[in-house]
Amino acid sequence: MKQEDRLKIQAWLDGELAPQESARIADLIDNDLEAKELADDLRAIQKALEVGEKQTILEDSREFYWSQVERQIEAEEPITENTQPELVSGSLGNALRWLIPVGSLAAISALMLNFDSINTTPDLPETGGSEIEKPQTNPINSPSGLAEGAGTVMEEESPATPEVGVFSFEGTQNGGNFASPEDPNTLPESIENPER
Amino acid sequence: MAKLDIPNAADDELVRSAQKGNMAPYEELVHRHRDKIYARAFSMLRNEEEALDVSQQAWVKGWQRLKQFQHNSSFTTWMTRICINLCLDFLRKRQRQQTDSLDQMEEETGGVERRMEAEDYNPTEEMERSELRKEIDAAMEKLSYEHRTVLVLHEFERMEYKEIAKSMQCSIGTVMSRLFYARRRLAKILISLKKERQS
Repeated sequence: MKQEDRLKIQAWLDGELAPQESARIADLIDNDLEAKELADDLRAIQKALEVGEKQTILEDSREFYWSQVERQIEAEEPITENTQPELVSGSLGNALRWLIPVGSLAAISALMLNFDSINTTPDLPETGGSEIEKPQTNPINSPSGLAEGAGTVMEEESPATPEVGVFSFEGTQNGGNFASPEDPNTLPESIENPER
Repeated sequence: MAKLDIPNAADDELVRSAQKGNMAPYEELVHRHRDKIYARAFSMLRNEEEALDVSQQAWVKGWQRLKQFQHNSSFTTWMTRICINLCLDFLRKRQRQQTDSLDQMEEETGGVERRMEAEDYNPTEEMERSELRKEIDAAMEKLSYEHRTVLVLHEFERMEYKEIAKSMQCSIGTVMSRLFYARRRLAKILISLKKERQS
């Protein structure tokens, strides 16, 4: 008997053969003694395995086991715990990413214009002509000071670092790489993606 | 909305709550199913410490991927698949550090016995089910990881050839061949254990 037929007898017992092939193998088992003996052997093993596996029970306490799992979860998700996902997730997060710097720039521009108007109007008559140049130093310094201040505001308010982290996490969670999010076989790591 | 009665809630309710980011329901799921997940890891790895580590990794991964679970299968089936994938990953890494196993060589050359005598082994006679389980467990331990894995996935996880091939990253033909020789080898070991028991 060919090895191919042996494997097909096994597949027949496992219910893995197409109907047409199944009929041919059933016929072979009926008419070939060697095929029949092989089928009997395989059935005996199948039957033995039907009793199932030996019970295996964890010896660690529930609390200890969970504490180790929890520690690993926390160790792998420090960024998500320190941020506010609702503020930066989805379309709102994307909008904020653009609105904050644009808004800051608009604020700086408005302040610069405002300083120009302040410095060119009411104070001049009071200070007198000889001191005209003195207040002009303020508009030069002030906008740069404001710009630095605004820059600081941008850095403080811009969620650049944590947002990237959260965004990456979201991307990993929902990433488009997964053909079927339900299927653990499609998880992104190499082992979990058989198509590696 | 009523507060979830965690100890008495169904798995599905716990999963839905955990998917919203609540850790306590997930902790309850871990308590309920940790033995099953550990048992699967142990059946594949045959090492208590490694099985413990991998089972815990599976729960961590389960939490990280929980939002992807869409309730199309039971939660335990989903978790078991994660555990199996981690075990296979672990075994592959371990195998890379070893030379080709004798089993692989035999598979290639067809060097194992062509058939065992049907009358040599009747697994249902003279043995209690618990004894038979122990004997099968002892025999499984003697198999190569490829043979043990294919048997575990097919006989205990009820996975089809196609699914096994995907998980083990091999062809369906290889799965069929491994399964065939795994069964042969298992039968041979069980026969020798039976002879030892009788002598």
